[in-house]
Amino acid sequence: MDQQTAKSKIMAGEIKQSKELFRILFQRSPIGAYIIQNGHFRLVNRQLAYILGYEESELIGRPSLGFVLAEDRDAVRENAIRMLKGGCSLGYEFRIVTKQAKVKWVMETVAPIYYQRKRATLGNVVDVTERKQVEERLNQTTLEIQRSNAELEQFAYVISHDLQEPLRMVSSYTQLLAKRYSNKLDADADEFITYAVDGAKRMQMLLHDLLEYSRVGTQGKPFSLVNCADIVEQAIANLKIAIEESGASVTHDVLPTVIGDEGQLVRLFQNLIGNAIKFRRDEPPQVHISAQRRNYVVTFAVKDNGIGIDPQHSQSVFEIFRRLHTREEYPGTGMGLAICKKIVERHGGHISVQSKPGQGSTFYFSINMAGGGSA
Amino acid sequence: MNNQTSGRPIEILLVDDNPGDVRLTTEALKDSNVQKRLHTAKDGIEAIAFLRRKGEYADAPRPDLILLDLNMPRMDGAQVLEEIKKDPALQHIPVVMLTGSQEIEDIIKTYDLHANCYVIKPMDLEQFIMMMKSITNFWLNTLKLPMEEK
Repeated sequence: MDQQTAKSKIMAGEIKQSKELFRILFQRSPIGAYIIQNGHFRLVNRQLAYILGYEESELIGRPSLGFVLAEDRDAVRENAIRMLKGGCSLGYEFRIVTKQAKVKWVMETVAPIYYQRKRATLGNVVDVTERKQVEERLNQTTLEIQRSNAELEQFAYVISHDLQEPLRMVSSYTQLLAKRYSNKLDADADEFITYAVDGAKRMQMLLHDLLEYSRVGTQGKPFSLVNCADIVEQAIANLKIAIEESGASVTHDVLPTVIGDEGQLVRLFQNLIGNAIKFRRDEPPQVHISAQRRNYVVTFAVKDNGIGIDPQHSQSVFEIFRRLHTREEYPGTGMGLAICKKIVERHGGHISVQSKPGQGSTFYFSINMAGGGSA
Repeated sequence: MNNQTSGRPIEILLVDDNPGDVRLTTEALKDSNVQKRLHTAKDGIEAIAFLRRKGEYADAPRPDLILLDLNMPRMDGAQVLEEIKKDPALQHIPVVMLTGSQEIEDIIKTYDLHANCYVIKPMDLEQFIMMMKSITNFWLNTLKLPMEEK
């Protein structure tokens, strides 16, 4: 045996080995694989046959596009051409119809190859039906949640709005009763009237705040550039009386400009500063506002030296009508922080509180300027 | 410069479908010191009939002031307002829109229709009475309005 013959023998052996390797890889791959020439299956593996629901032998010689759902055929053809030209390397997804007439979602990648010295296409296919179904369900659920949220908002709005008229009647006439008949009936009547007047007044406040809460979502203004120093100054001006009466000092660092709903941001700062003053200890309240910016997210901190909040309530304080004190201790409807949360969420951010009883609270909220908000 | 000098009572037309509100307005106007007669219409159709002296309203006086509720069945306040403001015989009468609505769209709409004033009915009785006093004082005592012969 000369050297040349020995070399070609080794090469023939290597070719045989790599053919065998290809055959095993191709046949046993958990990914559907095939080779197409002139649009017809020349070689298919077990997994492809399994996905399509046929025997391997039934597929050979059949036009591959025939298994694609009719509506998806044009897209599949275009994608395959683009991919074969090297224009895109990601897989594309489409629907196929199995022998049992079942529709399945698959993801395919293709590559140009030579097979038996002629141009051919090597394709790989994965069954993604389950993932698609989960995605579909997720989309459905998301839509469902969005719809039901919008409905709830509308519901709260209509309720709080439409209840105002009859409530005005109750409220006006109980007040008229009190005005005309106090001390003219008996002690019981006076007491009953007092409770009726008080109840109507409280319901007014509840409805007023519920209406404001529902308006955050339904009546928000489009976002614009907002200078937060101006916003905080406006909030402070609105709280002038409370600040003077309590001797509060409200200070702030240099504050950035953000993208948001000006009116709502004034309300947000006003509620937080207002709470800091309302829930004060015996000493004059000190409120400080600072801000930190990271990329598109600005995080504000409103820090006070008030009575603080037990950490076990740090989530629930943001719920609607949530009150941690009796009305005699601190008046209010328990809507202030719920409104804050809703405003912050509309601005793509989060709100939280860190506090220990007796050691003041710090409310943190973020505003996402990378399109977090919705109108 | 006071309409009271003419010696006749001020004619006020209140258009409101809610009897509770009609009574409340009556009570509130009792407190105001202007000499007046309050007429009521329970919806827009009746109000227009009153203003045009149709049918049973043949002898109705021309009101000096109209208090008009926005939310009413059959013909709402905005429609009545539109009707009044496009009628040369009625368009000079001051119209005060009275409503429970705080909707900015409602307010803008009524001003677009040339409402002379838009007032949200207060929840509080004292404020309601104060409001009625201010309205009657402002429109009937302070201003000299173009009055037609009756």
